[in-house]
Amino acid sequence: MIRVENIYKSFGEKSILCGVNLEVCSGQTFVIVGSSGVGKSIFLKTIVGLIKPESGIITIDGIDITKCIVSDLRKIQKKVGYVFQESALFDSLNVFENVAFGLRSLTNLSEEEIKNRVTKCLTMVGLKNVEHLKPANLSGGMKKRVAIARTISYKPNYILYDEPTTGLDPIMSDVISDLIISLKKYLNVSSVVVTHDMKSAYKIADRIMMLYEGRIIFSGTPEEVKNTDNEYVRQFVEGSSRGPMQQIDRTFKMG
Amino acid sequence: MKKTLNVFQFYKANQAFVYRLIEGLGKAVWMVLETFACIFKLEINCKSTIEQMVEVGWRSTPIVILTSFFTGMVLALQVGNATSNLFNEPVYVGTVTGFSMVIELGPVLTSIVVTGRVGAAITAELGTMKVTEQLDALYTLGTSPVKYLAVSRFLACFFMLPILTVISNIVGIYGGLILSTNTWGLSTYTYLSQSLDFMTVRTFIHGFIKSFFFALIMVIVACYKGFNTENGAEGVGKAVTGSVMTSIVLILVTDYFLTTLLVALRIK
Repeated sequence: MIRVENIYKSFGEKSILCGVNLEVCSGQTFVIVGSSGVGKSIFLKTIVGLIKPESGIITIDGIDITKCIVSDLRKIQKKVGYVFQESALFDSLNVFENVAFGLRSLTNLSEEEIKNRVTKCLTMVGLKNVEHLKPANLSGGMKKRVAIARTISYKPNYILYDEPTTGLDPIMSDVISDLIISLKKYLNVSSVVVTHDMKSAYKIADRIMMLYEGRIIFSGTPEEVKNTDNEYVRQFVEGSSRGPMQQIDRTFKMG
Repeated sequence: MKKTLNVFQFYKANQAFVYRLIEGLGKAVWMVLETFACIFKLEINCKSTIEQMVEVGWRSTPIVILTSFFTGMVLALQVGNATSNLFNEPVYVGTVTGFSMVIELGPVLTSIVVTGRVGAAITAELGTMKVTEQLDALYTLGTSPVKYLAVSRFLACFFMLPILTVISNIVGIYGGLILSTNTWGLSTYTYLSQSLDFMTVRTFIHGFIKSFFFALIMVIVACYKGFNTENGAEGVGKAVTGSVMTSIVLILVTDYFLTTLLVALRIK
């Protein structure tokens, strides 16, 4: 279980996370939505230990990652996979080496086993005969799928997705959403997904929470999101520029 | 009222700068310690180290040869000119050219040329990896970016720069020889005997020690700037400029203090 308690994080004067709590149970997909720049990706990076919070507790299967020693951190890294927003594939390595990277660093598998596992993972994400290609030769959707294959290769218990459908066409977005659902079904992984894509969020989520001004202002099932009276959630779901969340100064006048 | 500026006032006025400086120094020291720890524990990626050695050593050789050859020729031309004006004949051409190349120009020139080629490339590569989250990806895949990226580059620069310096010395002296025989009419024997007569093993050690230090400066600055790049493509550009400028300034400043120290220790 991933448990986040009262996390605070700020950059200089700007507070990003102000007491955020989260609990992700086994096999659950948790979707975090919110406006751009609200701190969703920072929250996700805090969970995996890439950003250290100023205060609060983050426990993954009972180990507090804000205080744990290096050997414990290594165990946790093996349990938590992270799919980056821009895929973050290693430019200098081909697809095979990218997917095999985590297997070589986090497991003790033989080269033969690694080869089989890489082929299996690439097949799971719907890619074949791309092992020799470099990331520069892949489309955006293929990069995302290779990144997912790299993450599932070492069989983590939890996968954190940072905007997995951003920048993809609607069909490819749906393919990625289906992939997240099938990974949950076949690998029984728990997921935390950060996204702006409400269609994808409704499809994949067990629970959806909304982050605004560093706090969780709403948490509920997809049905509860659809039927809520919360004006912040309504504005976000409807994609309206008018509402309590003001992105631009409306008092500005030309001339 | 007389204004007095004490340490506390200075600290208050420049608090953000002092914080950044201490933070930067701390990160750099941590990176160096982690690199040394990996080397002492023999956690070295041999394949990557050899690739980096080829990149730093073999691929830098043509530019080092070219710059050293012309530097040696210019040196011989200037010394010949100056001594011809003073003594009506070119004297000490081989001595000054050889000595200058081995103890000063060889190590300094080579490290500056290699900084422009390799230091900039290291910062650009690591900086791009940082802004595209590839360094974060390494971390999530259980690999320290320092162990995976810095150690091989560190070893490659540390061993290749002294070798390039030796090549630079030889080529520079050869450049001086070509000019001296063609312009000043010196025989090969005269030039070479002038070059080597005043040199001892300590002279070579002097230049060699310098090249090790310059290699360390170059690779530490290049990796540090790369690992701490921010703000996308613009940030990468700034990091590369900062890396090259910082390395060159530090190499020249260190050269002065190192020369003073080595002369005091009679390694000259």
